Amino acid sequence: MASFELICPAGTPAALRAAVDAGADSVYCGFRDETNARNFPGLNFSPTEMAEGVAYAHRRGRSLFVAINTYPAASNPAPWHRAVDQAAEFGADAVILADLGLLDYAARRHPRLRLHLSVQASAANADAVALYRDVFGVRRVVLPRVLTVQDIARLTAETGVETEVFVFGGLCPMAEGRCSLSSYATGQSPNRQGVCSPASHVRYEQRGDVMASRLGDFTINLFEEGEPAGYPTLCKGRFVTNDRSSYLFEEPTSLNAVALLPELKAAGVRALKIEGRQRGKAYIAATVAAYRQALDGFDRTGRAEVPMLAGMTEGQRGTTGAYTRTWR
Amino acid sequence: MDTQLTLGPVLFNWTADAWRDFYWRVADEAPVDVVHVGEIVCSKRLPFIAEHLPEALERLTAAGKRVVVSSPILVTTERERQAVRDLLTIGDVTIEANDTGALALLAGRPHAVGPFVNVYNEGTLAWLAGRGAGSVTLPGELPADAIRPLAAAARTLGVAVEVQVFGRLPLAISARCYHARAQGLHKDGCRFVCGEDPDGLSVDTLDGEPFLTVNGTQTLSRRYLSLAGRLDELRTMGVTRFRLSPHSLDMVEVARLFRAVLDGTLAAAEADARLADRIGPAGIADGFFLGKPGAAWVGAAA
Amino acid sequence: MPTPRSDDTMANAPDGRTLETAVTALALRVADAVGPRLRDPVLDRLAGVFVRRHPRAAEAVSSLPQATVLIDAVDLPWGLLLRVGPEGLRLRLCEVATTTADATVRGRFAALLDLAEGRIDGDALFFRRDLTIAGDTALVVALRNALDGEEIDVLAEMDAVAGPLGRLGPMARRHAARVAEALGGLQGALLAPVVGRVGALEKRLARMETRMKAGER
Repeated sequence: MASFELICPAGTPAALRAAVDAGADSVYCGFRDETNARNFPGLNFSPTEMAEGVAYAHRRGRSLFVAINTYPAASNPAPWHRAVDQAAEFGADAVILADLGLLDYAARRHPRLRLHLSVQASAANADAVALYRDVFGVRRVVLPRVLTVQDIARLTAETGVETEVFVFGGLCPMAEGRCSLSSYATGQSPNRQGVCSPASHVRYEQRGDVMASRLGDFTINLFEEGEPAGYPTLCKGRFVTNDRSSYLFEEPTSLNAVALLPELKAAGVRALKIEGRQRGKAYIAATVAAYRQALDGFDRTGRAEVPMLAGMTEGQRGTTGAYTRTWR
Repeated sequence: MDTQLTLGPVLFNWTADAWRDFYWRVADEAPVDVVHVGEIVCSKRLPFIAEHLPEALERLTAAGKRVVVSSPILVTTERERQAVRDLLTIGDVTIEANDTGALALLAGRPHAVGPFVNVYNEGTLAWLAGRGAGSVTLPGELPADAIRPLAAAARTLGVAVEVQVFGRLPLAISARCYHARAQGLHKDGCRFVCGEDPDGLSVDTLDGEPFLTVNGTQTLSRRYLSLAGRLDELRTMGVTRFRLSPHSLDMVEVARLFRAVLDGTLAAAEADARLADRIGPAGIADGFFLGKPGAAWVGAAA
Repeated sequence: MPTPRSDDTMANAPDGRTLETAVTALALRVADAVGPRLRDPVLDRLAGVFVRRHPRAAEAVSSLPQATVLIDAVDLPWGLLLRVGPEGLRLRLCEVATTTADATVRGRFAALLDLAEGRIDGDALFFRRDLTIAGDTALVVALRNALDGEEIDVLAEMDAVAGPLGRLGPMARRHAARVAEALGGLQGALLAPVVGRVGALEKRLARMETRMKAGER
């Protein structure tokens, strides 16, 4: 058996085909509405496309997971319930959920549907994971990007729940699903509307040679000509503390934990996840192929060869993030 | 249900003496009904308040306050998990769960659900009520349109709903310490630099605009939330508890202002004006309540 | 028509895609040379072909509010103005300096072409600062996502324009046929393995430009 299952993002049917064709074991997608955390304009799947996506993946022996990982709106749970019902109906291999109420709904209504806990639930310790396991029958947990490899190993061993961790792509320095930074600046919330730093509130202003990126009414970065940029998310912005400007929260950088494959395997991690449902299919094809190769190589030799993916990363650099303790 | 003023836990790294003096004065003078204690941001700070905690509980209880012990927001290490278990051994107090781990440990025992457990809808509320939650403090980013149906649902479930109405709004939590990072330090060798800023470290934009506040691993709004002008509206919705989040300004005075507005003896606009005066350049905000950016200030007249 | 700024498209095309990039740029040059009376119906046909071949993207584009996006290839003398919204997709060649749009996407032509065909990730281009965005960011993101969901081959799209030309009037058809010949004929030229052929192609196109200008008068 392969050491890890490779979980890849898709924001469009074309990206889904690219991911499957490049060697993804499983692809995760969302419906085209606020029920998932990448509710970006022009992105995601209609019900018909989702059903076709499941069929495409299954014909090739791969899996498809449906992310329904925002928090249902008060007095309007219908879109979230419908998303869970449709995922079950289409034969999705799992739904990725975050909300306690929605997990309760899914567990009662679709007892045979496999439940994964979204990173947006921010289950960061074994007690939390055990709750989701015992009460809702959650089979796998996507761990928040704030844990060290050591934390992950302990949690996996103690709970016996499959763990899935991010290995590549955008990096939230904050505990996911518990962050209102974007809504403080824009009024749109990742938890509620499924979008962080919504494009509708992002503006790039040219100020002479300097490009300013603005989120809502706030300047979150200034770039000199040719200086590598990142996403216009608050946590990758440059701010002033004690009269000094810095990337206070996180540099524009992407996670790349391929060098940690041996440690992650020893920690008992079951699945590795690539971030980026908002990215183009060219990104999907390149990163999935690189990771497929790295994982196959790792299974053969036990060594992790680091693929060259710098061109795909924010700020043109990678980090192993919270997996190593010095990040803190 | 009666309307209650509650005092949230101190979020900042105050000196042990400042922490103790604060709660002593609250016990003696603040017109609040419920008082939260506990270090919920950073486990490294826990030893500082631990020595005064038993006495604080005793003194607040003796003064007629209902005491709630708040659990940490982010629990990742074994030591932190043990610290949560230790909280559960404290007798005669309600425990407020601020993560799902604490929620798991509190199953079947009456408890409070804090603002850091995501409660966005009736389904979650009902599930929590079924597990023994007596009260729920809603996330700070919820607008009136979401608070209203949740408060209505809570009433039928017999759960008290609490909303923060004063103080900087917690916006994010991380494993990384930004207070240390701002000084070029790591969390493990942080030298407790967060202790230098009793209301958090100011974060400005590159354009020099006040924006956020850093409190160790936590990020808060720069502006102070004030919903003094929305208390009537919240009460009509069925919200029964109003949370004040502690700062270094005179919290007894803040509590008196909110109490006076609740009692109808002070106009909300007057309370906001006095709060704005005490807060100074950081300013006040109420945007989340109105479905706008949290940093916005609209005021009750709008 | 606008005065050329520079025309170093060829030199900056990425390895392996030099020919496609050059040919598309040259096709645009032909389109410029023939003037709007002849060019615009062909561009309308091109938009029509796109809508038929890519219904998913077309639906996404028409579900946007009415807006314009200026595609500014910094190494081409003119820009492309896209109109999106309920009235459907429309393409026009335009002078960058005098065109206002709701959003602007700026970059080298080769990069923009790769982006349109989903050969390159827009975010990656942006991180490298090879792409700049001004104006309505959401509009650009929506358009990018709509295009990225498709398998687009710009040359094939142009080739397919030849088909519907029959519906044009006789005069326009004669002229448009020449543009289409230029556009579509290029696809065949691509099959030639020798990169040196581009030079010959360019000469051929230059002759065609002259002929067409003469024809227009």
